[in-house]
Amino acid sequence: MHKARHLNVSGILINGAALVLVLSYALPYMYLLMTSIKPAADVQQIPPSFFPAVLSFENFREVLRSSTLPKAFVNSLTVAVLTTALSLAVAVPAAYVATQYRRRITTLFLLFALVTRMVPSVSLGVPLFQLLKSLGLLDTVPGLVLAHTSAAVPLALLLMSAFFEGMPRELEEAARMDGCTRFQAFRKIVLPVMTGGIAVTALFTFITSWNEFLYALLLTSEATKTAPIVIAEYNSVYGLAWGAMTAAAVLYSLPVIVVTLALQKQIVGGLTFGAVKG
Amino acid sequence: MAGIELRNINKVYGNRFHALHDLNFDIRDGEFMVFVGPSGCGKSTALRMIAGLESISSGELRIGDRVVNHIDPKDRDIAMVFQSYALYPHKTVRENIAFPLQMARLPTTEIDSRVNEAARILELTALLDRKPALLSGGQRQRVAMGRAIVRKPAAFLMDEPLSNLDAKLRVQMRGEIASLQRKLNVTTIYVTHDQVEAMTMGDRVAVMKGGVLQQVDTPQNLYNRPENVFVAAFIGSPSMNLYEAVLNGRTLTLGSNSFEIPDRVFEYRPSLNGASNRQVIVGFRPEHMNDAAIRPSSAEISAPVTLVEALGSESLVHLNIDAAWVDAGDPDAVADIGDERAAVARFSPKSTVRAGDIARIAVDAEELHFFEPDTRTSIW
Ligand SMILES: Nc1ncnc2c1ncn2[C@@H]1O[C@H](COP(=O)(O)OP(=O)(O)OP(=O)(O)O)[C@@H](O)[C@H]1O
Ligand SMILES: [Mg+2]
Repeated sequence: MHKARHLNVSGILINGAALVLVLSYALPYMYLLMTSIKPAADVQQIPPSFFPAVLSFENFREVLRSSTLPKAFVNSLTVAVLTTALSLAVAVPAAYVATQYRRRITTLFLLFALVTRMVPSVSLGVPLFQLLKSLGLLDTVPGLVLAHTSAAVPLALLLMSAFFEGMPRELEEAARMDGCTRFQAFRKIVLPVMTGGIAVTALFTFITSWNEFLYALLLTSEATKTAPIVIAEYNSVYGLAWGAMTAAAVLYSLPVIVVTLALQKQIVGGLTFGAVKG
Repeated sequence: MAGIELRNINKVYGNRFHALHDLNFDIRDGEFMVFVGPSGCGKSTALRMIAGLESISSGELRIGDRVVNHIDPKDRDIAMVFQSYALYPHKTVRENIAFPLQMARLPTTEIDSRVNEAARILELTALLDRKPALLSGGQRQRVAMGRAIVRKPAAFLMDEPLSNLDAKLRVQMRGEIASLQRKLNVTTIYVTHDQVEAMTMGDRVAVMKGGVLQQVDTPQNLYNRPENVFVAAFIGSPSMNLYEAVLNGRTLTLGSNSFEIPDRVFEYRPSLNGASNRQVIVGFRPEHMNDAAIRPSSAEISAPVTLVEALGSESLVHLNIDAAWVDAGDPDAVADIGDERAAVARFSPKSTVRAGDIARIAVDAEELHFFEPDTRTSIW
C-alpha cells in the first residue's frame, strides 16, 4: 500500500514536470497559431488576447496572394531537399567508414566534425560569402545548397556515426561471408538495416536547411531568397505586418510537422535500435 | 569440401598485441574440429583469420589446395555462424537463408528448393515468412545454421553458436549440430570455451591458451594423455587435481602421504624408471579417487574433508591435501564452491564421509599423471 502511494506521488510529479515542459514549447507556437487566424486589425489590439474574437483567414489570403512568399517557399524546399540529398550522400558513407574501420585518423576526423559545429556561423558567413562570390555562386541555389551542406554535414556525420556504432559489426561480416564485396554488403545489408537512422538524419538535415537564416541572409539577395528571410522582412518592408508574418510562419512550419509525423515510425525505429539484435 | 591447413600462422593486431603464436595444424576434409580454451586465448581470432575477416600477419593458410591468405571472404567458399547469429533483421527467414544463394546467382527454382530443403532439415518451414525479431533464441540459431548449410560450402565456421541459449536448449542443439555435421560431412571448425561441448562434439579438439596451441587430439587422448599441466586441468570437470610430489624408486610422497606406484605406470612412462628423489607434478582426476571404506586399494592417502557436495548420483568431496598445490594457469578456472586449492574427489553416493572427517582415499594409481615441474609437460 505504502509503496503504491509513493509511486503515485512521484508519478504526479513526473507528469506535472512533463506538462510544464510541453507547455513551454507549445505555448509560443499556440500563440503564433492563434494570432495568425485573427483579423489583421485585431492582431495588435491592446491588451492582447490569446484567442481570436472572430476567426479570419485574411492573413493567409494576403501572404499567399503576394508573389514573394510562394516563390520563397519553392526556394526553401529546393535548397532543403538538395542539401539533404547532398549531406546524406557525403555523411552516410563517411560515418560508416569512420565507425567500422576505426583508426586513430577516423576518430580524429569525427572530432574535427564536432569542432566545426562549435564555430559560430556568423564567423563562417563572411569567408563563405567571399568563397561563393569568387565561384560566382552568390544568390544561386547551388551556392546556398553548398553553404547549408557545410553546416549540415557535421551534424549528419555525428548522428549517422551514433547509429552505425549501434549496429553489430557481424551484420556486415555475415554479408561478406555470404558472398558480398564490402560495397555490396554496405548496399544490400547495412543501408536497408539503417533506414530508420537515415530517416532521422535526413529529417534533421532537412530542418537544419529549412530553418537556416543567417547564411540565407548573407548569401542570397533576390533570386533565391528563402522563406525565413521573407518572413523576417514582413517587419521591415511592410512596416509591422504582424498578421501576415504569423500566417507565413504557420505555413512555413507545416511541412516540418507533416514530415515528422510521416516519418514517426522510422524515427522511433531509428532511435530505439534494439531491433537489429533482437 | 576441403581440408584446412595452418602453417606458422601468427596474428599481431594493430595495437601490436601478438594474439596468435605460430599456429600449426591440419583439419582433415569432413572433420569436426573444435577450438577450445579460456577467454581471450585467440579462438575467435584464429577462426576469423580462416574466414578472411581478419588479416594474417604471417604464415600460410590453405583451404583445399589453395593458399587463401589474400583471398576475400566471399571467395573462400566457407560459411560462418556467428555467436550473435547476425541475422539480417530486415529480411524474412526465407530471405535470410536465400541470401547467400542469391549472391551466388543461382536460378530461382534452385534457390527455392534448397531453401525449402534446409528449412525442412532444421524444422523452420512454418517460420519461413517471419522476421528474425519474432523468433526465439533457438529458432534464430537454426536460421543461422540454415543460412550456412544451404550454400553447401567447403567448410563451416562456428563461433560459440550456442552460448546465447539456455542450458537445456544448448544440450539439445549440441546434439543436432553434431549429427547435422556428420550427415553433411562438411569440414567444420567450432569455437567454444565449454570443454564439455568440445569433448562431446569434436572429432578432434585443439586446446589453446594465451595464443599458443597446447595440444590437438581426439577427446579420448586429451583426457587420457594430456601433453601438459594446462590441458590436464582444462579437460575434465571437476578439474584434475595437481600437486607437487617426490618420486623415490616406486614410492610417491605426496605431503605426509606415501604410496607405491604400480608397474603399469612405469611401462607407460619409462622415463620415470629409477627415479631417486625426483620432483614431479602429480595429477589425479576426481573420478580416480574413491572412499577407501567402500573400495579399498593398495594406494591410499588420508586427508581432512572440508566440504561434501552431495549431487545424488555422486558426492564431490573437497579435501585438504597437505602438498604444494599447482596452479594449472587457466584464468577462467574459479572455484565455484570451496577453496580452489582443495582437491576434489568423486565419491560414490554411498560414502558416509562428512566435512570435518579425516577421510581415507583410495587412489587409482594406474591413472596417475606425471609432469615436469619446470616445463610442466607430461613425463612419458
Ligand atoms: N581488434 C583487436 N585489436 C587488438 N586486440 C584484439 C583485437 N581483437 C582481439 N584482440 C585480443 O586478442 C586476444 C584474443 O582474442 P579472441 O577474441 O580471439 O579471444 P577468444 O579466445 O575468442 O575469447 P572469448 O572466449 O572471450 O571469445 C584477446 O586478448 C583480445 O583482447
Ligand atoms: Mg571469441
